[in-house]
Amino acid sequence: MLQTPEDDAGPFEQGDRSDTDESSQLNAHAQAETDPPPADIAAIAEEPAAVPAHPADAAAADLATAEEREPPRAAPATIRLERKHPFAIRWMHWVNFPVLFTMIWSGLLIYWNDSDNAYQHPHEVYRVGIGSLTIVRLFPAWFWKAINAPYRVTEGLGYHFFFMWIFAINGILYVTYLLLSGEWRLMVPERRSVGDAIQVTLVDLHLRKGLPPQKKYNGAQRIAYTTVILMGLGSLVTGLSIYKPTQAHWLTTLLGGYEMARWEHFWLTMSFCAFFLVHVGQVALAGWNNFRSMVSGYEIVPASKASLEEDRRAR
Amino acid sequence: MSDGREERKEQEERRKWQEERDGRGDEPRRDWEQEGDRERRDSRSADSAAADAAVRAASARHTRRSFLVAAAAAAGGYGFYRWIDNSPGDQQIPRPLRKTLNVNAKVSHAIFDDRGLAPTYPVDQSMELRTNGNYGLKMDLIPGSYRLQMVGVANAKRHPRYVDDVTAWDYQYANATQPAPVEHDTKVAPRASAPMVGNGPDAKADPNGDAGMGQGPMMQGGQASTMVSSGGASSEAKQQPDILPAAAAALAAMKKAQGPKRPRGQEEAGESDDTLDPGTPGLLLTLDDVTSLPHQELVTQFKCIEGWSQIVHWGGYRLADLIAKYPPERKPDGSLPKYVYMETPDGDYYCGFTLEACMHPQTLLATEMAGQPLAQWHGAPLRLHMPIKYGYKQIKRIALIAYTDSQPDDYWTKLGYDWYAGL
Repeated sequence: MLQTPEDDAGPFEQGDRSDTDESSQLNAHAQAETDPPPADIAAIAEEPAAVPAHPADAAAADLATAEEREPPRAAPATIRLERKHPFAIRWMHWVNFPVLFTMIWSGLLIYWNDSDNAYQHPHEVYRVGIGSLTIVRLFPAWFWKAINAPYRVTEGLGYHFFFMWIFAINGILYVTYLLLSGEWRLMVPERRSVGDAIQVTLVDLHLRKGLPPQKKYNGAQRIAYTTVILMGLGSLVTGLSIYKPTQAHWLTTLLGGYEMARWEHFWLTMSFCAFFLVHVGQVALAGWNNFRSMVSGYEIVPASKASLEEDRRAR
Repeated sequence: MSDGREERKEQEERRKWQEERDGRGDEPRRDWEQEGDRERRDSRSADSAAADAAVRAASARHTRRSFLVAAAAAAGGYGFYRWIDNSPGDQQIPRPLRKTLNVNAKVSHAIFDDRGLAPTYPVDQSMELRTNGNYGLKMDLIPGSYRLQMVGVANAKRHPRYVDDVTAWDYQYANATQPAPVEHDTKVAPRASAPMVGNGPDAKADPNGDAGMGQGPMMQGGQASTMVSSGGASSEAKQQPDILPAAAAALAAMKKAQGPKRPRGQEEAGESDDTLDPGTPGLLLTLDDVTSLPHQELVTQFKCIEGWSQIVHWGGYRLADLIAKYPPERKPDGSLPKYVYMETPDGDYYCGFTLEACMHPQTLLATEMAGQPLAQWHGAPLRLHMPIKYGYKQIKRIALIAYTDSQPDDYWTKLGYDWYAGL
C-alpha cells in the first residue's frame, strides 16, 4: 500500500506525495547534520503510530549513520528498511532448523529397528492403507539403505535423547518470546485468515489473481506457522508419552495408548517434513529480499508501506 | 522512461488495490521490492535515487554483517555436532550422548521417582510374548539342575542354603528338543539355504536359520539382533558374515569338547565385568524357595526398545517379597546397597538394576506366561517382569541375584543402550 492507514485522503497519485507519506518514511528522511537527534524522533512521531526501530537492535544505529551521510534536504527515498523479524525469532528459527533435522534423522534411525524385518511388523503402525489394504509401507528398503539407517539404533537413541532438550528449550523460549513481545498478534490466525489462506493458495497455484492484503504474514502463513508451533508441542507431548509410558501413563492413555502415541508422533514428523518442503518452496519463490530478512532481520520495502511497528503496537 | 498510457494503467491498478483495501481496512501487496523497483523507474522518482542508494547501502552493510554472524553460528553448530560425533566412545556411543542418557535417567528419576504403576489390562487382550533374543538360552537347562544364587544376603552364613562358593554350582544343559518360535526381529538377511517357515503363500525363509536352535547366523558370527549397533565388534562381524569352513569346524570341535558345560560371556557384549569370581559365598536357593512366596498375576504391556509392544499375562512372585525374605546385608554405616545384579547361568546375558526398581510392586520373578509355565525360550524357570523398564532389562533364566553397591554391568548398555532404560 502506498498510503499510511491513517491517511485516507484519497487514492495514491504519483508525484503528489503527501507530508504524511513522507513522515512515515523511517529511513528516508534526509537529516541535516545539524538537526538535533530529538528532531529525528519528532519527525517520525509526526505520524501518530510510527515508532523508531527497536532500541536494542544494533541495526538501528547502523541505519541512522546512513541517514546522516545523506546530503541535507535531498529527495526522500522511495524505499526503506523494515524490521521484519526480531533478533530472537531469527536465532530461534535457525537453531530449530538443524535441531529438528537431527530429531527427524535420529528418529528414523530408531524407527528402522521396528520397520524392516522379513516378517513385516504385525501392528502395522507405519503404513498408508485402509483396513487390510496397504498402499505403501513406510519405508521401503531402498529408502533405509539410501539414508544409511540400518544398525544405527543406539546412535539414533543417543542423539534423539540429547537433542530433545534443545528442541524443547528452544521451542519453549520461542513461544515465550512470541507471547511476551506481542509478536504473536502478527502470527496467530484471525477471523479472515481462513478465507485469505484459500485465496493465497489459489493465487499460488495460478488459479486466481489478487493477493489479499496482509500485515507481516498472510492468512496462509498465519495458519501454517501457528500450526507448526502446535505440531512442535504435539511432538513434545507424544514424545514424552512414548518416552515414559509407565510413569506418565495417564498422558499415554489420554493420547490413545502407547501404539497410538507412536502413530501420532510419527505422523507429526511426516507433517514436519511436508511443512518443510512447502516452506522451502515458498521461500524460494518469495525471493532474496524475503529470505534475507530471516537472517538480517530487515526487508527492503516501499517507503510508503505502513510500518510493521504499528501492527506490533496495535492492541 | 514511462509513457502516459503505462502510468494510467498503473494508477488504475493501484485504485483497484485501494478499493479493496478500503473494504478490508488494511493494506495490500506483499511484493514490496518489486513495487519499489517500479516506482524507481518513474521519472519523477529519479531524484530519490541517491536516497534509495543510501538505504540499499545500509542494507548491504547490515546484510553482510548478519551473514557473517550466521556463517560463524553455522560453523559453530557444525563444530558442536562434530564434537559429539567424534568424542571418544563410552560403551559404544559417544561420551556426550552417554552422559546425557545418564542425566536423563537422573531427571526421570527425580521427577517420577519410578513409583508409577504400569497400567494393567484385561486378560483377553493379552497374547504370548514374541521371542526376541536367545542370549544365554541357546541350550535347554535341565530343570533339576537349577539353583538361584543369591549374593550379598544379610546373615547368609547362618542360612541353611549357604555355600562357600556359589560359582561352583554345575548347571546341566541339553540340546534344545523343541524349536523355539521364530525370532521375528532378528535383522539377519534370510539366506537362500535357510529353512522355510509357514505354509503355502505365507512361507518365508526363517531369518534365524534354525528357529533358535543355536546353529543359525546368530551363533555363527552374523548379526545377532536388531539392537546391535554399528560400532565395534558388530561391524567387524558384519564385514565377515561367513566364517571360513575350517574355523567353523574348529568351533564345532571346541563346542563338542566343552560338553554340556558352557563357557561364559559367549555373546556379543562379551563377559560381564561383574560376573562372580570363583569362591564367592552366598545362598543357593531351590525353585521351591521362590515358589513358596505369595503368587501374583499381572497383565501388562511389554515394550521393546525396538519399538514394538505387546500385552502379556504374567504369573509369578514379587521380587520385593524375595528381597524381604533374603534381605541385603547392610553396609557398615547402616545403609542398604543401591543395586542388584542378575545373570543367566552361563553368564552370557546380564542386567543391572537399582534396588528400588527391584522393590517396585509390579516387578515379578515370572514363572508363567499366558497361563502356562514358562517355555525354555521364554526364560524358564525364572525370568524377570519389570514394566517400569524396557524389555532388554527383563532378563530370562535368572541364575544369580546379587546385591551390590556399584552400578552393575549390563549386557545392552555395553552395546550402546541406556543403563537406566526406565519407562
